[in-house]
Amino acid sequence: MNIQHHKWLLPPVVLAVMPFLFFTGGTYVARIFTLFLMFAVLAMALNIVFGHTDQLLLFTGGVVGLGAYTTLITANAIGISMWATVLLGGVFAGAFGAFTCWVAARRRMGIIVISILTLALQLALIEAYFGFSDLTGGDTGMRTPQTELVGSLEAMGIPKLTFLYYAFLVMLALVLLLYQYLMKSHYGLAFDVIRQDELAAEAAGVAVVRYKTIAGFISTFIMGLVGPFYAQIEGFVFPSMFSFPVIDVLVLIILVVGGLRTMYGPIAGAALLVYVNEQLQAAQQYRRMVFGLLLMILFLYFREGIVLFVDEYLEDRFEYRDRLAGITRRD
Amino acid sequence: MAAAVDPSLLIELLIDGIGAGLILALLGLGITLVFGLGGILNLAIGVFSMIGILTVIEVVNIVPNVAFAILIAMLLVGAFGLLLDKTLLPLVYRSEGEQRILIGIFATLGLAIFLEGLLVVQYSDFYSVHLPGVQPTIIGGLLIRGSSIATIAISVVAFALLYLFFDRTYVGMATRTVMDDEVGATLCGIDTRRLRTLVFVVSAVVAGLAGIMASFSGEMPVAASFELTIEAVIVSVVGGVRSLVGTVIAGLILGIVTTMATAFFGPTMSAISLFAAAVLVLVIKPGEIV
Repeated sequence: MNIQHHKWLLPPVVLAVMPFLFFTGGTYVARIFTLFLMFAVLAMALNIVFGHTDQLLLFTGGVVGLGAYTTLITANAIGISMWATVLLGGVFAGAFGAFTCWVAARRRMGIIVISILTLALQLALIEAYFGFSDLTGGDTGMRTPQTELVGSLEAMGIPKLTFLYYAFLVMLALVLLLYQYLMKSHYGLAFDVIRQDELAAEAAGVAVVRYKTIAGFISTFIMGLVGPFYAQIEGFVFPSMFSFPVIDVLVLIILVVGGLRTMYGPIAGAALLVYVNEQLQAAQQYRRMVFGLLLMILFLYFREGIVLFVDEYLEDRFEYRDRLAGITRRD
Repeated sequence: MAAAVDPSLLIELLIDGIGAGLILALLGLGITLVFGLGGILNLAIGVFSMIGILTVIEVVNIVPNVAFAILIAMLLVGAFGLLLDKTLLPLVYRSEGEQRILIGIFATLGLAIFLEGLLVVQYSDFYSVHLPGVQPTIIGGLLIRGSSIATIAISVVAFALLYLFFDRTYVGMATRTVMDDEVGATLCGIDTRRLRTLVFVVSAVVAGLAGIMASFSGEMPVAASFELTIEAVIVSVVGGVRSLVGTVIAGLILGIVTTMATAFFGPTMSAISLFAAAVLVLVIKPGEIV
């Protein structure tokens, strides 16, 4: 058995026992753990499109909202459970993201242009959520329906947050598996070439526009899927919960703290950030200041992320990579 | 529907739109100058505006003279800009090209979030600068809002000064040269680093003034600074990011369009039209940036 092939399994297996250890303390702790997984999934999604194809999408929040609103509005309109339309939300969000990336790639936008473009789209989306209040409930928001699924689970003694935690855990496992597959297949190779030299990639026959669009679809599809589950955590949907400071800033910090283009980085980053966030709960008013400082310092000094930083440090101290390779070779 | 609109209302809206447009143009200039000269997209510019507004309010409490307070505010924002230029910006200027732009975006975004968090601790209310003695005036049967008159008057002076600076002074001309061709300018013996400092301070002062004028006509929370930043970036992008004249024209057009759109279609459509303009320009002419 080669350890490398099952690298994706480690975090989900470890995280699967968390509810048994920590969820006894009521909904407060459960909510923190669930949000941690949600942000890990979002950072993983951004990791694919930003880390690997250099398309800096600054509309994660808006796209999550697109998934949430699409799911809820269509479910309400047809009169079915929101779980039936979850995929629709993801596909719609993915189509929106893919179209954006397609236009950006066709127009040969650099990383800066695409970041400004998606930031403008993010704000337009939030405005639209506020403005089209017939559909979205606008400022007052709308209640997330208490679904039969959650109702019957609760009747069996499984709290809503435990269910959501495992839903996100399954999502994380699938995203990790997909990530591992992508990196080992021709996608990973193509992404690497495109990131290093787009022109050379094109000259060598790599379909740059197609790969960038696919990366955009995968990432925004995942973000769209997260939407309805996020709505279930909060129990309510309102436009500002998808705003840039609430979602994007955190996801960016998580991704950079953890390290771009790593598999465990986004998870480590999310754990660290959710922990810091909780420590700052007592000092609510200073939270924004700390996040602002973090963002500044990280981008100025630690752009490689803490996972790589720790990795280098451990390698220097213990030369563990050779030993790990030794274990792998033995089987 | 257009036939039913009273022409005098249209002219009144046009004047309000010009006022709003001049504010947008000043904000956009703050972005264009710094981006054109140093490659930094200053996402903290709206916070400079907010610091300007809050300083005026604090100073007016001590010395009840708005004009004096505005001057003090501009000085303070300028000094703050100088401080940043000496502390934070050198860390960004270390990198080159696209890397610098990317680090600049996140360093200034982090700065904006940090400063917003800092300000909100002390100032959690809505703020606006009141102009005593400036009344709505009736000119030729048109009711012109006092805030629009004040904004247009102050902006005209500000733009005249900026024009004289960039067109007549050596430093101003050197600035435009660097924006056109940095290598050539350096070969001519122009000290780009000192120019960057100067231009960053000017952009901060301009942003402070624009914020103060924006608060003449509406109350703003500290959180509005992010919206001001975004408006500034959009104006700059629509104007071509490196063109001073383009930025001013874009500001005026967007000011008029958004004022009209707010009056006829509501604030949502107005905001969306602003973002749509930016998206359109980015899609049609992405090559102008970078």
